[in-house]
Amino acid sequence: MLIKKNIDEKPIHKSEVKKILFIFPMVFLIFGIVMSIISTDFIDGFVRISKSPTILITDFLELGGIGPAFINAAIIGLINLFLLKKFKMKINGLLIAAFMTLLGFSFFGKNLINIVPLYIGGYLYAKQQKIHMRDVIVIIMFSTGLSPIISELMFSSIIAEPYNIIFGFLVGILIGYVIGPLSAHMLKFHEGYNLYNVGFTAGIVGTVFTSVLRALDKEVEPVRILYERGDLHIKILLTGLFLSLVIIGFWVNKNTLKDYKNIFTYSGRTVTDFTYLLGYGVTFVNMGIMGLLSVALVTILGGILNGPVLAAIFTIVGFGAFGKHPKNTIPVMLGVIIAAVYLGLDLSSTGIIISILFATTIAPIAGTHGPIIGIVAGMLHLAVVTNIGIVHGGINLYNNGFSGGLVAGFLVPIIDAFKKGD
Amino acid sequence: MRHEVKKICKIVDELTTLLLKEDTDEVDFKIKKTDYETIIYITDYNTKYTPDHVEQLKQCLNVQRQHEVEEYYWQLVGECDSDSELTVIGAMIDSAEIELKDGNLHLKIVREK
Repeated sequence: MLIKKNIDEKPIHKSEVKKILFIFPMVFLIFGIVMSIISTDFIDGFVRISKSPTILITDFLELGGIGPAFINAAIIGLINLFLLKKFKMKINGLLIAAFMTLLGFSFFGKNLINIVPLYIGGYLYAKQQKIHMRDVIVIIMFSTGLSPIISELMFSSIIAEPYNIIFGFLVGILIGYVIGPLSAHMLKFHEGYNLYNVGFTAGIVGTVFTSVLRALDKEVEPVRILYERGDLHIKILLTGLFLSLVIIGFWVNKNTLKDYKNIFTYSGRTVTDFTYLLGYGVTFVNMGIMGLLSVALVTILGGILNGPVLAAIFTIVGFGAFGKHPKNTIPVMLGVIIAAVYLGLDLSSTGIIISILFATTIAPIAGTHGPIIGIVAGMLHLAVVTNIGIVHGGINLYNNGFSGGLVAGFLVPIIDAFKKGD
Repeated sequence: MRHEVKKICKIVDELTTLLLKEDTDEVDFKIKKTDYETIIYITDYNTKYTPDHVEQLKQCLNVQRQHEVEEYYWQLVGECDSDSELTVIGAMIDSAEIELKDGNLHLKIVREK
């Protein structure tokens, strides 16, 4: 049983939590505007981002430039915060995870054009089922991992003009409509040991979609557009943001130093909402620590903070409110690193770095079954994730969530088979 | 399809799994469904739960109803026997009355439509 700890912290209203989340898109907006002034081709860059097929790997920092990429993330973040405010939603760990994931992937695949049809599909589903849109908004926020399907149909040559735009839009609506029941159903496969459940669902949807295209003799062409230049300014920005989360956490809960160790008693298996179990103070501190550790890891490995790495880091920070902490994430990351070293892979490459960071999707395996099993799970994750992209053709942004679901669904029953008792 | 009946059954599944695994070997339950709400009565005989345990259970189940958590995670409820999903049940119900009486544990769970 997940026990709520007795935490004495400053009462914090849901509007204050939204204001804290508001810091992120606002800082991105200011940073994006400053960078756009320096680079001067904001309009062209923003159009390139919006009209790209966004297939894996399309890094908006390289495609459109740093300024437009940050402004794209800021606009998407602000629109979603507006929706959460409009629906008067209590900001729990799940919503923080969804918001941060959405924000991070806005550097790497999600833009205003390719996410809107999914929201419309979600709205139609809610209408048809006679439930409120707020009941499905979190799934829809996560479902934007399939936004490349929409962009691919709209802006590649798979569908002839002028039908491409309307066809892409309609397929997006259809995905938004079905993703809720699909993602709820997929949970049973991995029993909540894969935190990026919509990633697993999106992998299945993407596989079916790509198979249909291939059956029709159409191929989704993989791309590799990556920002691989200086990133000191982005490192400084992220470090500042994550340090501010730690400071806010201490402001909310003065006893965070004492209370923080309690987080290690939770396995992180879905549903582990730290905002409920430990309060907002400890949650914000954990999010900040997870972010700082991720930036440090990327720096130590010699990687570059580009779009995919930003997506991975913000996803980790978001899930720092919903299951992830250093104790359950480090073993799986270590497992990926060990496997990569053994296979002679370049640890500083973006592909390996995002595999290390996103492997934390299966952190609950380490949290439940211990660090050794966690390391084994991490090693398996690397093997699967480096081979799974071809199945869905790169139209699922949450490639690691798909892989994590497969690893968890494969590994957990095997671990159970060796257990004794009732 | 909203799977209302299946959701109720999953709540019962999760709670009976928890009680049989952690506490007792004898459990009764009764479900009453109306147009407005569903009430689940569970009796856990010869409980070993202490008043502290009961208080923790009350806290777990009496969180605010969270429809977005329910919509996403309801199928996880009752699926795993090595861990519990009381947080999701808390998000799926409107109130839970739990009391220790004559050595038995009585639960009354209310889920409004």
